[in-house]
Amino acid sequence: MKHLIVVGAGLTGLFAAALAAARGARVTLVARGRGSLALSHGCIDLWATKSPSRSIRRLRHPHPYALAGGFPRLQSALADFIYLLDRQGIEYHGAPSRNHRLITALGTAHLTALAPFSLAAGDLNRAEPIVVAGFEGFFDFSPHLVASGLQRQGADIQDCLTLPLIELPPGRERFATDLARLFETPEWRRELARSWKPRLTGVRHLALPAVLGLEHNFIVWQELQDLLALTISEIPTLPPSLPGIRLERALRRSLSSAGVQIIEGSRAVGRVDGRSGGQLVSGVVLQTAGGPRLIAADAVILATGGVLNGGLVFHEDGRVQESVFDLPVAHDDDRTRWLGSDPFGSHPYALFGLHVDQHMRPLGANAKPAFENLFAAGSLLAGADRSREGSRQGIDLATAHCAVEAALA
Amino acid sequence: MPTLSTQVLVIGGGATGLGIAWDAALRGLKVILLEQGDLAQGTSGRYHGLLHSGGRYVTSDPHSARDCARENAILRRIIPAAIEDTGGLFVSTPADPPQFADRWLEACGRCNVPAQEITPAQALRREPMLNPRISRAFYVNDASLNSFHLLHALTESVRSSGCQVLLWHQVVALLIARQAVVGARVRPLAQGEEFSILADVVVNATGPWTAAVAALAGLHIPLTLGKGTLIAMASRVVNTVINRCKPPSDGDIIVPVDTVNVLGTTDVPVSSPEQRSIEPWEIDLLLAEGEILIPSLSQYRPLRAWAGIRPLYRPQEVEAINNRSITRGHIILDHAENDSLGGLISVFGGKLTTFRLMAEQTVDLICRRLGIRSPSLTAETPLQPGHRRHYSLPARLTSIESARATGHPDLLCECEVVSKGEVLTALQGGDVAELADLMRDLRLGMGPCQGTFCAYRAAAVLAEVGAGAQTPQQALHAFASERSRGLSPLAWGTTLRQMALQHRVYVDLLHAEVTD
Ligand SMILES: Cc1cc2nc3c(=O)[nH]c(=O)nc-3n(C[C@H](O)[C@H](O)[C@H](O)COP(=O)(O)OP(=O)(O)OC[C@H]3O[C@@H](n4cnc5c(N)ncnc54)[C@H](O)[C@@H]3O)c2cc1C
Ligand SMILES: Cc1cc2nc3c(=O)[nH]c(=O)nc-3n(C[C@H](O)[C@H](O)[C@H](O)COP(=O)(O)OP(=O)(O)OC[C@H]3O[C@@H](n4cnc5c(N)ncnc54)[C@H](O)[C@@H]3O)c2cc1C
Repeated sequence: MKHLIVVGAGLTGLFAAALAAARGARVTLVARGRGSLALSHGCIDLWATKSPSRSIRRLRHPHPYALAGGFPRLQSALADFIYLLDRQGIEYHGAPSRNHRLITALGTAHLTALAPFSLAAGDLNRAEPIVVAGFEGFFDFSPHLVASGLQRQGADIQDCLTLPLIELPPGRERFATDLARLFETPEWRRELARSWKPRLTGVRHLALPAVLGLEHNFIVWQELQDLLALTISEIPTLPPSLPGIRLERALRRSLSSAGVQIIEGSRAVGRVDGRSGGQLVSGVVLQTAGGPRLIAADAVILATGGVLNGGLVFHEDGRVQESVFDLPVAHDDDRTRWLGSDPFGSHPYALFGLHVDQHMRPLGANAKPAFENLFAAGSLLAGADRSREGSRQGIDLATAHCAVEAALA
Repeated sequence: MPTLSTQVLVIGGGATGLGIAWDAALRGLKVILLEQGDLAQGTSGRYHGLLHSGGRYVTSDPHSARDCARENAILRRIIPAAIEDTGGLFVSTPADPPQFADRWLEACGRCNVPAQEITPAQALRREPMLNPRISRAFYVNDASLNSFHLLHALTESVRSSGCQVLLWHQVVALLIARQAVVGARVRPLAQGEEFSILADVVVNATGPWTAAVAALAGLHIPLTLGKGTLIAMASRVVNTVINRCKPPSDGDIIVPVDTVNVLGTTDVPVSSPEQRSIEPWEIDLLLAEGEILIPSLSQYRPLRAWAGIRPLYRPQEVEAINNRSITRGHIILDHAENDSLGGLISVFGGKLTTFRLMAEQTVDLICRRLGIRSPSLTAETPLQPGHRRHYSLPARLTSIESARATGHPDLLCECEVVSKGEVLTALQGGDVAELADLMRDLRLGMGPCQGTFCAYRAAAVLAEVGAGAQTPQQALHAFASERSRGLSPLAWGTTLRQMALQHRVYVDLLHAEVTD
């Protein structure tokens, strides 16, 4: 049995580890921090056009989608992802041929291919009148902002309200995660539904902040729909964002049931196998509180992310470093050229990262794979502006899928 | 709008203009003050935060040093709420000329600037992060002065004595009749039509814009402009003001202000007061100089950078070699004497520390011109912190904790502890035209996340109460742009990570629109 180390616990790392375990590998997942799923909408963005599949089929090298095997690779990755999540109780709806048009907490449209059931229920393509409601004292979702944004897009907004929350412990801030746990208390949510009911007569579709439960989201969502006799959809809030957290927890559940060992909280430093003449890596050394700890493996997959997650470290003098093996990073070494002019626009730094071959092996100085058994996936890779393309999660899944298959081959 | 009239019309709502309005109002004069932006949007909101002991100027500008020492004592008395008594140290590092310390100490004595030598060990006990290789250390009366707080207090005092402070009102022309300025034409920038104000005396207190405003009356004031860049570090690495014991130069002071340490400054000639963009070498230099004082500085996160512009008076007879050797003392130009144009006085230069003195001398001159005998009262009149007392963090924490006991404190900005109630109160005040005003009023968005979370929440309040001329989405975009401008010069390491986080939230999660 091959032993594989996956470094990084974001969507890419968790999915790669789950996939490798499902294919029979022994897997150790090491991560310094938690990844950024709690910042995410929990959906799988593939490409922000009418038809993601058509757009992705047109891509060429060195776009990571193309390198990882193009659309067929993406399809296999999505199938594995849907199956994996379904087994953990989250049904993802959608297909790569057509995007959902979901509502954001700013009232803008979010084009995404796969969405968890309770978000997919809010697809604007359905064109039914929507009532948007927030909760009193919960500031990470504003029905007023949603309504004003939606109106600008010409969506059919019936009303916008603020619903009261009953009996919260005093002195606590209202956070999304707190509320999600409260919604998992059956008596509380039933009483809440009773108190809301008179205010919701004539409402057919109610859009609420995505805090309807944590692990038992499906039950909470269904019961509220039954009690109130209307369709409910969820809209992701400011972070912590529950749909992303639910996805993270589901993937972690699947790792623990597959026996993946998870080691968190320490920095991993790459280790080269001295006997291989620099051809192979032998694993990683973890910088733990108790001292360095060597973990040896047959292959390593880097899923450490870009600048946000620490896979890439940007320096004042213009250097950009890959944080585990110090691999060469494609970048501009003038730091004044890293940012674009609009904070919400595109930034050149988003394109920086590792160049890889078709097996997701990072290239060394001579444009050859740096090591035979070292792979990389996700935001660490160069060549895609994920925010602009709307391709982040699709690239994560496709490149993780490709890296796992190559590592286990 | 009908034409207004007043005795004194002050142009410019920085410390100088507001100080003059306050002094004049206390003497019973009728005053209107016009500011083209928000409070603290000019130099007074872009400065270093130091209430000078005078120590910095004892060798280069003894006159200013004496003024600072005197005013330092007065301001501590009249506006303690805006001042944190951090104390200050002058230290000789291995990079500083060793013989300078004795010369400096002697000069302090001559200028009445209290300074007391302590041992390097005592200095290090007080500030453990200091360079352990310092050879001399002196304790002085430096402190930090929160100008946002000061300007609010001045504004409220002026208003409560029946005078007017109009924000977002720009002077676009000066009215001239019979060899004298008799008023100004005013353009409201938020909404409304242009109107005129007639005045017995017009005071031009527009800091780096002084020459531009004087030019509206056809006058030429020989000013050059010098830009100084500052960096706020996201932590209080030191709690005492730290100065290098050497002749004044770039990057030699660290000031603890509220939750941050401010490093500064540089001095770069510029040609307009709007030229505030920061060059990479300025940042590199400030951080490198900072490390001479605090060797571990690079391990801390630079939070934000900004730049302020100094006006430097350069009449032809003064042929100075560089900006720093030009006097930083203040200038009060009576254009009746200088240019035979009555009714206009220009006041500029000096320091924030000396704003009260500048105001006193200016209003003395105004009174002489108007034939009024009335002494200045500012040195004896405590400035009420007013309803913005919550500006100070300890006061805010107390109020949040008491709210917590009974219900929900309703925090919109966790970093700086700003509640929804405070935002609503500020919106009712009517001076808020954009979200950045709430930042200057309440510190909203000034903390480590630089608006990542509170920008959305504050825009939501705008949407809820329907305030402001912009749509909430535009307001959000404008605020994010303002906040990210101050991060861009520092965009590497953890600061870039913070920006990437904000991008992830607003672009990937919320799909915020780029521009309209
Ligand atoms: C980088 C730097 C660091 C400094 N550090 C310190 C320090 O640590 N300690 C200290 O004591 N001093 C310091 N100073 C000096 C101090 O900041 C200034 O002396 C003081 O802020 C000047 O205030 P002011 O009111 O004259 O100018 P400003 O604060 O610039 O006010 C002028 C105002 O006029 C307004 N205005 C301009 N044109 C018009 C118009 N046409 N109509 C209406 N309004 C108009 C502007 O918007 C502006 O708000 C520093 C200065 C700089 C540049
Ligand atoms: C005493 C004191 C304490 C402070 N403490 C804090 C704090 O704790 N936290 C905090 O966040 N801030 C703090 N600030 C800074 C404050 O938030 C603002 O940065 C400051 O008031 C300047 O305003 P601004 O950033 O809107 O300036 P702006 O000039 O509007 O923008 C700031 C940045 O944009 C750059 N810029 C401006 N114009 C251009 C241009 N045309 N092209 C390119 N770049 C440009 C400037 O150089 C600067 O870097 C403090 C300020 C003072 C005076």
